[in-house]
Amino acid sequence: MASTASKLYSDDVSLVVVLLDTNPFFWAIAKNSNNNNPNLSFSNFLNHVLPFLNSILLLNQINQVVVIATGVNSCGYIYDSSSSPPASAAKSEDGNMPGIFSRVIQKLEEFVIKDQELSKDESVVGNPSSLLSGSLSLALCYIQRVFRSGPLHPHPRILCLQGSPDGPEQYVAVMNAIFSAQRSMVPIDSCVVGAQHSAFLQQASYITGGVYIKPQHLDGLFQYLTMVFATDLQSRSFLQLPRPVGVDFRASCFCHKKTIDMGFICSVCLSIFCKHHKKCSTCGSVFNQANPDSTLLPDRKRKTPDA
Amino acid sequence: MPQVKIIAKNFMDMVAALPAMKLDKLYENTFICEAVLRSLPPLAKKYVLQMLYLVGPITAKSMEEWVLADGLSKHRGAIDRLLQLRVFLEATDRKKETSYKLNPKFQDSLQKYLVYGGAVPTEPMPSIITGRLPTLDSLEAYALEQWECFLLQLISSGQPERPSSIGSSMLKVFQRGLLSSRESEAPKLTESGFQFLLMDTNAQLWYIIREYISTSQDRGVDPADLISFLLEFSFHSLGEAYNLNTLSEVQRNAIKDLADLGLVKLQQGRKESWFIPTKLATNLSVSLSDTSSRKQGFVVVETNFRMYAYSTSKLHCEILRLFSRIEYQLPNLIVGAITKESLYNAFENGITAEQIISFLQQNAHPRVAEKTPSVPENVTDQIRLWETDRNRVEMIPSHLYEDFPSKDVFEAASDFAREIGGLLWEDSKKMRLIVRGESHQDMRDFLRRQK
Repeated sequence: MASTASKLYSDDVSLVVVLLDTNPFFWAIAKNSNNNNPNLSFSNFLNHVLPFLNSILLLNQINQVVVIATGVNSCGYIYDSSSSPPASAAKSEDGNMPGIFSRVIQKLEEFVIKDQELSKDESVVGNPSSLLSGSLSLALCYIQRVFRSGPLHPHPRILCLQGSPDGPEQYVAVMNAIFSAQRSMVPIDSCVVGAQHSAFLQQASYITGGVYIKPQHLDGLFQYLTMVFATDLQSRSFLQLPRPVGVDFRASCFCHKKTIDMGFICSVCLSIFCKHHKKCSTCGSVFNQANPDSTLLPDRKRKTPDA
Repeated sequence: MPQVKIIAKNFMDMVAALPAMKLDKLYENTFICEAVLRSLPPLAKKYVLQMLYLVGPITAKSMEEWVLADGLSKHRGAIDRLLQLRVFLEATDRKKETSYKLNPKFQDSLQKYLVYGGAVPTEPMPSIITGRLPTLDSLEAYALEQWECFLLQLISSGQPERPSSIGSSMLKVFQRGLLSSRESEAPKLTESGFQFLLMDTNAQLWYIIREYISTSQDRGVDPADLISFLLEFSFHSLGEAYNLNTLSEVQRNAIKDLADLGLVKLQQGRKESWFIPTKLATNLSVSLSDTSSRKQGFVVVETNFRMYAYSTSKLHCEILRLFSRIEYQLPNLIVGAITKESLYNAFENGITAEQIISFLQQNAHPRVAEKTPSVPENVTDQIRLWETDRNRVEMIPSHLYEDFPSKDVFEAASDFAREIGGLLWEDSKKMRLIVRGESHQDMRDFLRRQK
C-alpha cells in the first residue's frame, strides 16, 4: 500500500466515481409520494447532482469525475471527464447548457431505454432493487485501471447516490466489492435519497472509511453534496463530518437471500444460512447430523462464564 | 551570512496585493474566479463551495465548529487566505461577533459557472482559415526549445561576446533580479540568477511572470489588466488557434513577449494571424506544488562522485557546469565529476548545497529515481559538508567597548547587554565588552544614563 500512496499527487486532487441510481420503479414512487420526500423527481435530483459534478471539476484542474448509472438490469458508464474534451471546448448546440450536462443527460436517456428493453421479457415482481453490486464493480475496475495507468494518479473515491432499497440477493457480490474497495483503500461515500436506510451502504461506508448520510431535506440535496461529499480525502482529517449513527450489520443468508438476525454459519467457508443444512452449498462440507438446537444451547452455557 | 534566496511566490500573492477596487472588478470575470479558487488551499476551496449558495453571513464561531480540534491551524490559514484575496468579506455585528460572507461578485460569478459551465474566453479559430495546425508533440518541442534557448541566453549573457535576441521588455525583467548590468560592464548573472537556473520549470515560469507583472507599471501597463489577461490566457485550450485581432493592444504586446518564452506560438496566415498556446501556458494557473508537468530526469550520480547526464541539450550541460567539472561529452551523454573545486565555484556564485541536491534529485534518471535515495547519500552528505566548511566563520556586525571608568560601570554595562540579548563576549580583567551592532543605541543610552 505504501507504493500506491507514494504515487499519489501530493495535493488534494481527487477522482470521484459517482454511481447514479436510475431505477425507474423507485423514481416513480418517489415522485408520487408527497409525505416525506416532496417532489424529488429524477429531473430534480439531476438538478442537484449535475452542478455538484461541475463543482468538483471546478475545484482542481486535474480533478476527474466518472458517472456510472445503476439500472435494474444493467449498469453503464455515462460520463468520464478525462476522456471527453474539456467542458469549455464542447458546447452543446442550444448554447444554454454546458457540455457536461447535455452529454450526461443524453447518455442517461440512452441508458434508461436500453435498461428498460432488457427487462421487457421478464415479469416484474414487486419493487425490484438496482444493481448496486454491478455498478460498484464497474467503479472498482475503473479505479484499478487508473491505479495501473501511470506513475501519478489522483486519489479515487466512490460516491453512491442510491434511492431504491437493497436487494438482499446481491449481498455476497456487494460485500465482495466492499472488501476489495477496502483493500485498495478506496472510500465509499453514500447518500441515500430513498425512504429507508440502506444496510449495504451503511456497511460499505463503515468498512471503507467513507461517509454515509441520509439527508433529511431532499430539496437541499446540493448543499448536502457540497458540504460533505465534495470534501477531498486530505481535508477530511480536519473537518467535522457526519458520524455514523448506527450501522445495520445484518447479513443475508445464502440459501433464500433473506436478511437475518441470527443464523447458521459454515465453519469451513463462513457461508451464512437461515436454517440447518446437511451439507454446505458453497464448499460442500458435511455438517454434524446432530440436532442444531441441542448443540447450540450447551455451547452457549459453556461460553457465557468465560466472557 | 545573508542568504539571498529567490522565493517562487505564487501568482495569487500578487493578485492579493491588488487594491480592493481592482480585485472586485477582476472577480466579475468567471475565469479569474476559477483560477483564484483553484489556487486556494483545499480547506478554503471547500468553504467557498459550502458558502456558495448561502445568502447571509456566517459567524466565525460557527465556522470553527466545522473543523476538528487538530485542524484549527489549517482553518485559520484558510480563512486568512480567503480574506487576503477578498473572497471572504469580514463583518462585525453589534454583538462584536465576527462573521464572514462571500464576496458577492465572486459568488455571482461562481454560481453562474456551476449552472452554465465554463465557457471559452474566445472561440478558437476554425481550421479552414488556419490550415493544418502543429501537432501537440511538435508544439511541446517548440515550447521546450524556446524555453531552453531563453535560459541559455541567460547563462551566456555572463559571457559578454554573445549578442542577445530576447525582446527588450523581457530583458528588462531579468535585469531587475537575475542579471546585474552596470553601464560600463557586460551584464552578469547575479546570485539569484544562478539559483534561478536550478529551479524547476514551473517555478522559473512563475518567477518570470511575477517580475514581468511587477515591472509592467514602468512600461505603462496596468498590472490588473495584465493579471486578468494572464489568468484568462491559461484557460485557453492547448493547441488551438486563437485570433490575435480579438485582443487589445496591451494584450497583443504581452502575447509577443510570451512568445519569446515559448508560452505561445505565433503564426501568420494569409490575412490574419493567430496564436497557439503551448503546454507552458496552460500550466500557468496550476498551483506551484503540482508536479504533473515535470519532465523526465536525465542525471545519474554514482557513489564515486561521477555524474552521467543523458542529454543532448546544451542548456543541461551549462547548468551542470555550474557545480561540476565536465570531463567529456558524447553525442547523447555528458560525463562530469562533482569535485570540491567545482562546488566551491558554485558556492561562490551563491548557489546553496540544498539547491544542488534538490536539482540532482528532481532530475534523476528514471532508473535511479526508483531507488531511494535517488542520489547516493555519501554524495549528498559530502556536498553539505563542503558547504558548511565555508560557513565556519560567522560574521556579526558588533561594537567593542573598552576603557570603562570603573569595575561597577563595566559590570552594570555587561549585565545590561546580557539582559537585552546583545552580549557576545566579555573580558572582565581588561574590562572589555563586545555587543551586537543592533544593540549599540541601547548601550549608548544606558551608558549615558550611568554618567
